[in-house]
Amino acid sequence: MTTSARRSKRTEALEQRPVNLDGFVEEWPEVGMVAMESPYDPEPGVRVEDGVIVELDGRPRAEFDFLDQFIADHALDIEATERAMAIPAVDIAHLLVDPRATRQDVLAVSRGLTPAKLLEVVKTMNVVEMMMALQKMRARRTPANQAHATSARDNPVQVAADAAEASLRGFRELETTLGVVRYAPLVAIALQVGSQAGTPGVLTQCALEEATELELGMRGITAYAETISVYGTEPVFCDGDDTPWSKAFLASAYASRGIKMRFTSGTGSEVQMGNAEGRSMLYLEIRCILVTKGAGVQGLQNGSISCIGVPGAVPGGIRAVLAENLIASMVDLECASGNDQSFSHSDLRRAARLLPQLLPGTDFVCSGYSSTPNYDNMFAGSNVDAEDFDDWNTIQRDLQVDGGLRHVPEAELLAVRNRAARALQGVFAHLGLPPITDKEVEEVTYAHGSKDLPLRDVLEDLKAAQSVMDRGVTGLDIVKGLEASGFGDMAHNLLAILRHRVSGDLLHTSAILTPELETLSAVNDSNDYAGPGSGYRPSGARWEEMKRLRHVVSAQNPEREVG
Amino acid sequence: MHRATSVQRERAYVRGVTTPSQADLDPGRDYPLATRRPELLKTPTGKGIDELTMEAVLAGEVAPEDLRIAPETLRLQAGIAERAGRPQLAQNFRRAAELTALPDELVLSIYNALRPRASTRQQLTAIADELERDYEATLCAQLVREAADVYERRHILAS
Repeated sequence: MTTSARRSKRTEALEQRPVNLDGFVEEWPEVGMVAMESPYDPEPGVRVEDGVIVELDGRPRAEFDFLDQFIADHALDIEATERAMAIPAVDIAHLLVDPRATRQDVLAVSRGLTPAKLLEVVKTMNVVEMMMALQKMRARRTPANQAHATSARDNPVQVAADAAEASLRGFRELETTLGVVRYAPLVAIALQVGSQAGTPGVLTQCALEEATELELGMRGITAYAETISVYGTEPVFCDGDDTPWSKAFLASAYASRGIKMRFTSGTGSEVQMGNAEGRSMLYLEIRCILVTKGAGVQGLQNGSISCIGVPGAVPGGIRAVLAENLIASMVDLECASGNDQSFSHSDLRRAARLLPQLLPGTDFVCSGYSSTPNYDNMFAGSNVDAEDFDDWNTIQRDLQVDGGLRHVPEAELLAVRNRAARALQGVFAHLGLPPITDKEVEEVTYAHGSKDLPLRDVLEDLKAAQSVMDRGVTGLDIVKGLEASGFGDMAHNLLAILRHRVSGDLLHTSAILTPELETLSAVNDSNDYAGPGSGYRPSGARWEEMKRLRHVVSAQNPEREVG
Repeated sequence: MHRATSVQRERAYVRGVTTPSQADLDPGRDYPLATRRPELLKTPTGKGIDELTMEAVLAGEVAPEDLRIAPETLRLQAGIAERAGRPQLAQNFRRAAELTALPDELVLSIYNALRPRASTRQQLTAIADELERDYEATLCAQLVREAADVYERRHILAS
């Protein structure tokens, strides 16, 4: 008699758990399918002759690929490198973890470390030690957060309302992108307008191909840029149609117009693009970090980002993702630290993946918290989305850790969503763009996502989007449109943001604008963590704000909610 | 904007305004410049930052060119970056100061020319020469020449 093998009830229960929908794979170091422990990564080493690096991590100068050469000639401090490289990796790791060593003490050493040495240092550290180090090495003292505001239908009215809500909830940067790229000008305008309806001083960007992104920035339709990708091997860098020199030039182009920008990279991109040269994901990412440093860019978005499924699938992958954030911070770059693209079906795993950035704090804990439901996220989802707002606020309150957000009562959210939509209605009318109806304004006020909204005339919108580019519409036209439609305070805030280009203050490391429209960066808010009792800790008004949740009951009367 | 005009404008700007030497700026005391040293901040068109008011915008007295950063401001910020221990950032600001004189389209075309296999050695050399000759952009020219050398060695010039 044959019977099918009897299965354990427990196995059946476990098979149903969401974590088993995630993908996991064995290591395969030969093709780079390994997080940070590969036998094929080079040994650390540096040799300087007559003020020039002639050997880097075992490779002589004549054999340098273009990343080696860029890193050797632009990223490493020639004066410091031989002395720094002589320090044992474990001693450098101790310097990172020991609160009595200052951030400056670490920077004096890290400025001379090669990619293989930086890798060797973090390989000696477990995740708790890395978090200790990140807490000290984050460039800006005050942590912040960034949100995505996108729409599955590229609906500008939705983007404006979600941008307003996100800014009121506390995000200091907002990023959008498109399903249909030609929609970009209208959606970028919507993001810029909507973000002014909430808390002042939010900076906005629109992720596009490099040259188009620069053009929107130059016009002042966006305030900063982030999607400037760099890669860890020469063939993949070339497949991305760039080199360290083209990217360094682009960085200067942004600065020449007074526009803040950061590069983007992350573990797993090279293996995903099929050319990891048999190196570990983290070794290649460290090369990206040092190319960023050498280009003179103030910061980097990293933490795997759009390749998170790759490190997420291998052993120790999420440790490697934390290590890349730490290394960006330890070479003095602003770090927008991932917790971005969708990573896992498991809520437990999603939370475990974000704690290493949330607990120590980074310059931007998420480089894309989705301010929409998952189906509207045009960056292929995010690790956390609009449906997680209450969970995020509760975790902040439970652990007294500042993740940059706050609970906002519904009435206030409805007010800013409505105001953002009405302001966009006014600006569209002022610029002669397709009308936004009162019905759309009403619906978006109460909507959760694009499915709740009336459809727009896409063809008319796309024609109008082209006309925005052809007519040379700029941020100044948006300011005038806001003022003309009776939104003088929003016009004032946007003009202030544009005016900051003239000062260049926002070009410095980790710069954001405060709600008072003043620059806060690693120059005037440098991280002074020096162990227990020091550094940034949420207190005073901010802590009182963090204590508020959707449902908190009165201590005197448990029947009464205090909000 | 014609090239010659923008270069002349930059030179006139540099001559016409007296600013303290970069060494005088102290990151702790003078940054952010917009609040601590607004008197140092001028647009490339010679307006003070405080003149960029809503009233001026509505009166049509502010053009998009007025919302740009001046080369001298970038050099002041380079000084601050240098003193804050960020030499690469400072160097980026100095290259950017040079690029303020270039029209947008030229900036974009040089960026595209620097992409892999986009240019011959002669084309990159011509760009470097133009940067130096027409814009006194010596640091950017140096970056382009360095790229030409590396691209040749790594076989990523246009064939």
